[in-house]
Amino acid sequence: MKLAVCVKHAVDETELKVDSSGRPLIEGAAYKMSTFDKNAVEEALRIRSSVGGEVTILTVGPPEARKTVKEALAMGADKGVLIIPGTATGDSLRTAGRLADAIRKDGPYDFVICSEGSSDTYTGQVPPMLAELLGVPYVGYARKVEAKDGGVVAERALEDSVETVEARTPLVIAVVSEINEPRYPTLIQIMQAAKKPIEERRPDEAGSAESRSAPTVVSMSAQQAARKHLIIEGSPGDAARKLLDALRKEGVL
Amino acid sequence: MDEPAVWAYSEVESLANEVSGASESVATQLGARSEVVELGQLRGSVQASGGKLLLKSGSGPGFSSETAAEALRRAAEKLRPTAILVGSTRDGREVAARLAAKLGVGCISDAVKLTAHGDTLTAERSAYAGRVLATIECKFPNVVTVKPGLFAWGTGSSDRVEEFDVGDLPGTTRRTGRVKKEAGAVDLKQAKLIVSAGRGVRKKEDLAMLGDLAKQMGGALGCSRPLSSDLGWLPEEHHIGLTGLTVRPDLYIAIGISGQLQHVAGMKDSKIVVAINTDKDAPIFQSSDYGIVGDLYQVVPALSSALSGTKRA
Amino acid sequence: MVLLTSEHRLLLKSNYAQHEVYAELLGALGAFMEEKVLPLSQKFDDGSAKMDSTRARLLEQGFCQIGYPKEYGGLGLPFGVYVLAAELAGYADAGMALSVAIHNTAAEGIFQFGSEDQKRKYVSDIISGKKVASFSLTEPTSGSDAKTMATKAKKTPRGYMINGSKAFITNAGEADVYFVFAATEKGPSSFIVESPNPGMSFGEDLPKLGMRGSRTSEVRFVDCEVPADALVGEEGQGFEYAKRMLSGSRIVMGSLCVGVARAAYDKALSYSKQRRAFGSPISDFQLTKEKIADMKTGITAGRLLCMHAARAREGSVEYSSEAAQAKVFATEMAVRVCDMAIQVFGGHGYTTEDVHRHWRDARLLTIGEGTSEVLRLLIASRELARSA
Repeated sequence: MKLAVCVKHAVDETELKVDSSGRPLIEGAAYKMSTFDKNAVEEALRIRSSVGGEVTILTVGPPEARKTVKEALAMGADKGVLIIPGTATGDSLRTAGRLADAIRKDGPYDFVICSEGSSDTYTGQVPPMLAELLGVPYVGYARKVEAKDGGVVAERALEDSVETVEARTPLVIAVVSEINEPRYPTLIQIMQAAKKPIEERRPDEAGSAESRSAPTVVSMSAQQAARKHLIIEGSPGDAARKLLDALRKEGVL
Repeated sequence: MDEPAVWAYSEVESLANEVSGASESVATQLGARSEVVELGQLRGSVQASGGKLLLKSGSGPGFSSETAAEALRRAAEKLRPTAILVGSTRDGREVAARLAAKLGVGCISDAVKLTAHGDTLTAERSAYAGRVLATIECKFPNVVTVKPGLFAWGTGSSDRVEEFDVGDLPGTTRRTGRVKKEAGAVDLKQAKLIVSAGRGVRKKEDLAMLGDLAKQMGGALGCSRPLSSDLGWLPEEHHIGLTGLTVRPDLYIAIGISGQLQHVAGMKDSKIVVAINTDKDAPIFQSSDYGIVGDLYQVVPALSSALSGTKRA
Repeated sequence: MVLLTSEHRLLLKSNYAQHEVYAELLGALGAFMEEKVLPLSQKFDDGSAKMDSTRARLLEQGFCQIGYPKEYGGLGLPFGVYVLAAELAGYADAGMALSVAIHNTAAEGIFQFGSEDQKRKYVSDIISGKKVASFSLTEPTSGSDAKTMATKAKKTPRGYMINGSKAFITNAGEADVYFVFAATEKGPSSFIVESPNPGMSFGEDLPKLGMRGSRTSEVRFVDCEVPADALVGEEGQGFEYAKRMLSGSRIVMGSLCVGVARAAYDKALSYSKQRRAFGSPISDFQLTKEKIADMKTGITAGRLLCMHAARAREGSVEYSSEAAQAKVFATEMAVRVCDMAIQVFGGHGYTTEDVHRHWRDARLLTIGEGTSEVLRLLIASRELARSA
């Protein structure tokens, strides 16, 4: 069984700083593996442990994204491919296109596993786009995945229902974060991961997919609701009474 | 040459009206027509100022995100809408991304505000777990998903119905089951008041205390991710946060919730936020109007009795 | 917040060529502790959560494997890396840090003084957490003066029979392996006693001022029989072994306290910016600024002293004085910093467990593993002997 996991070297949203004018400092921000991608790696490792096979980590990003690939290798994946694009862009279709090219080149992969969305921008566009570009079945928002001979039975977690779907491999799956609890690599695994292969590619991008009308971010501002930050003191009884008074004055009670 | 059109689509009826409203305002700015796209059958409750486009398929009435995206592609390649707006549900986001890939156009997710000028659509969306509001430009044609609960319903209504046959729509995934979440389940999106429980709650049985408080205050019970997914104490439809529900009640009371960014992303637009937590450094206090630093096991009963006290008086 | 800061990275860089690798490993360990240990720390203190399963996970991560050679299941990394890991653990939860540090001291004893068979049998299992270990030296009437040991080991045809009791033993009752000191005819000696053993029993978990997540109780030996190969090293050398084990352990305890101090400091710093008095945040007041400066300077100095002692140990020089200096300074600094943190919080500091628990935790370590008094004597006697 060949499994690929697509991961993103994402801005660490918890460490994002804002300058005095309220502009978030995306340049110079800390990066990490997108939080939910760990669930995707974990699911691939679980499938590997039940049916056997090899897990390849794919990422599109700058040379520094090697760190994210390494982290996934430390979790237990077998090898990594880092695709360094000619020009960086926020166009999801370009990213999906680079991933699709790599998957076609090395594949076929029985499973391509992604997470529902990245923890920084959370658009969730790449996985369905990838399935479209590869022309394979797609199972999104999977909260349970079971590999069954030549296919998969999965549960999709939707807003008001849970669907059970079946599809044949090869396919693309995007998992929700509640599907599993990602393992923490042990120190030994982190040291061993340094020896696992990571192939860097700077592919010829002629003919790769991209949007005719790529969205571009033109400005960003810190979004902070002006909160009052009032701490109500006193015994639990006093604090409760004071709080209810304040809420009545606000007109929300 | 057809008059330019902005399309609105959602598989959810009420959301289709919001998307129709968003589409109407974009269309007005462009001097275009706002059209609601219906799949398979017309829904009487959904209104559009510029009428409806009914896509008919020989494959039967059921649409998945896969076949919906393909139906929209076939219609769009023929009819060339300026923009396609899709309600941002889980299925809707899949439809939009697939459709954008098929058409090779840009895709914007979870727009909270849309304006159009000339050949460009400008959208605002939140990013970095709600810490940042990004303004994004994208030339037409494009596909946009519209965040639920923000756009007013359209005001115009036209009886015009255009039909388009999309032909057969083979699918590659098969739905073998669907379990509706139990009826009477919470509708946190509509709730004016939400009491939300977090990791500070020690055992599942203690949730009853918070549920009672919610009931007493006329609100609903929500929770942070650990309670629904790690501990499984509440079903997933109670989960408020980036990967769960986005809620905007008048009053949000976070009890025993530390306030990780992922949680705050789901409740930051609440009008008034109250936090109750033993840890005075819990980040939730940064996102709250009123805070009580204390043990929820003392504060919640105190709130309950203060509430019933006032009622008696 | 990230447990491993740029200050740690700088310290690693100025000490080790492989600093980037060590920073990556400590960063991962720090992330685990931040996500899985720190959120439970208050609960370990108030007793609403037990730390066993979290401790097992921390050990599985490789916390105790850092300093041992690869052939015994270790990572072969410098002692200083382990010392910094202890700081992160002290920050995340002092009680758990204490428990794993003492656990590791037992492994260290077997590794340094045990036979090849003993090393093969125990070291890898202890440092990976498959077995939990305990270090049993102190007695009800014999603490710092370990020579007055009342626990006796009598030679029998099959091995030894141990009688006596040990007091204030961390991990007692939970551990699978006890590194026990008992006097034979030749003097204090050390033994590996595996639990359960019909001759070994445990007292009640003692109510403690701090370090409440860890278990501390008496270990009693009544005709406790152990085989001959339970003896570690040579008879009569136990006191020497204990001194050497404790020297290393003292650096770890000092570093653990740096972590405790930092936890209290971070809380006080953030509170000082939020809490307003007389119309401005209390961080604007000079007397608060003085505390912030003193706390921060103490923490940095404590960390550097611990690292200095760790480097001396890595260099295989006699380092007992450096270790004692690091422990005396860092543990007393931590008590002072945690005290100042309570002061910054005012009434809230005195009444909030999540603030004063750090002081309660730190308070143990000017006593345990060598009191400040005894360590000062050690430092002074080294100095006096040198200048004579």
